[in-house]
Amino acid sequence: MMTQTDRLHFLISYMQQEQKVKQSVPDTFEKRFKVFRGLANERPAVKVSREFLDVQDAFLSEYNAEDVTEFKSLQPVQNQLYIWQGDITTLKIEAIVNAANAEMLGCLIPNHNCIDNIIHTKAGAQLRLECADIMNKQGRKEAVGRAKITSAYNLPSDYIIHTVGPVVQDSRVSLMKQDLLSKCYRSCLELADKNNIQSIAFCSISTGVFGYPKKEAAAVAAETVKKYLQESGSAINVVFNVFGTDDLEIYENLLT
Amino acid sequence: MKKVANYLWVEKNGGEYTLIMTPELQDDIGTVGFVEFTKAEEVAKNDSLLELEASKTVLDLASPLAGKIVAVNDKATDEPTLLNSAKAEESWVVKLTGVDEAEFNALADA
Repeated sequence: MMTQTDRLHFLISYMQQEQKVKQSVPDTFEKRFKVFRGLANERPAVKVSREFLDVQDAFLSEYNAEDVTEFKSLQPVQNQLYIWQGDITTLKIEAIVNAANAEMLGCLIPNHNCIDNIIHTKAGAQLRLECADIMNKQGRKEAVGRAKITSAYNLPSDYIIHTVGPVVQDSRVSLMKQDLLSKCYRSCLELADKNNIQSIAFCSISTGVFGYPKKEAAAVAAETVKKYLQESGSAINVVFNVFGTDDLEIYENLLT
Repeated sequence: MKKVANYLWVEKNGGEYTLIMTPELQDDIGTVGFVEFTKAEEVAKNDSLLELEASKTVLDLASPLAGKIVAVNDKATDEPTLLNSAKAEESWVVKLTGVDEAEFNALADA
């Protein structure tokens, strides 16, 4: 049986051959993982061999099985509402929300530290293929404030709901951008309900590289979700996933 | 009479309502590079009027009013930057009829 480090060697060699680059494969697991992630990030949405997927799925399912948090183990802060600090790709919940961009093919920058990048990396190459399929059918870029659903492939969650948030420059939030951020949350919840999803985890949409001020964004998120639950009568459980301690405090102040 | 809703001006001339890009909206989206109008002949409130791709965002522009679409700014399909114009005769989006006047009156004054 192949070890995880062996699997990485296979995956790296396969993608290097595809992308016609020839570099020596490093020895350690950590270095190999970084090379693998970079190549996977750059890999276009083209057909991939069954063998690659078998090895990739074996690798990712083992890799993703470490440090999984069960949604069931979380305690609500309010009826149907949860706050959880951690890496959203380690949460076992029905759906997680990805902060995507207008191309909606996943982050293409090797090893970029954004949520879109790590979600696509850990879900596997199939995710970009499914996204490309959806985007080809749509025939144009994804507008801000809508939502699309895909499988989560190798992640512990079942589905990924992708949404494009508004970009804010110089912390100037116009009314339109506030409305659009609210629309992102609403569209994701509507799509989740349409698919009978009982639990969903939101990342803090637009607050990363998209520049939406964190406090303002959290207020929009909390208000929109509460209003949606009230108006729709939906029984869906909603997790506000935060990464840093600053975000955690913001959400705790809003909801507890 | 002019109102504003969904970042659009709504100008009433008799029974015809023209929706026009506001400077705030133009500022928020940047230079428009691609426009596709809805093919629907009638829209409900918040139905999409057009999808546009601009330098700062990709946006689905929603109608602030229900009504029948009697004209769309076709020229903007070929020349999307018209929607960045300060002139209403260039940056209008669609013209509606059959609008509920009470709904129009309820919108904020421009």
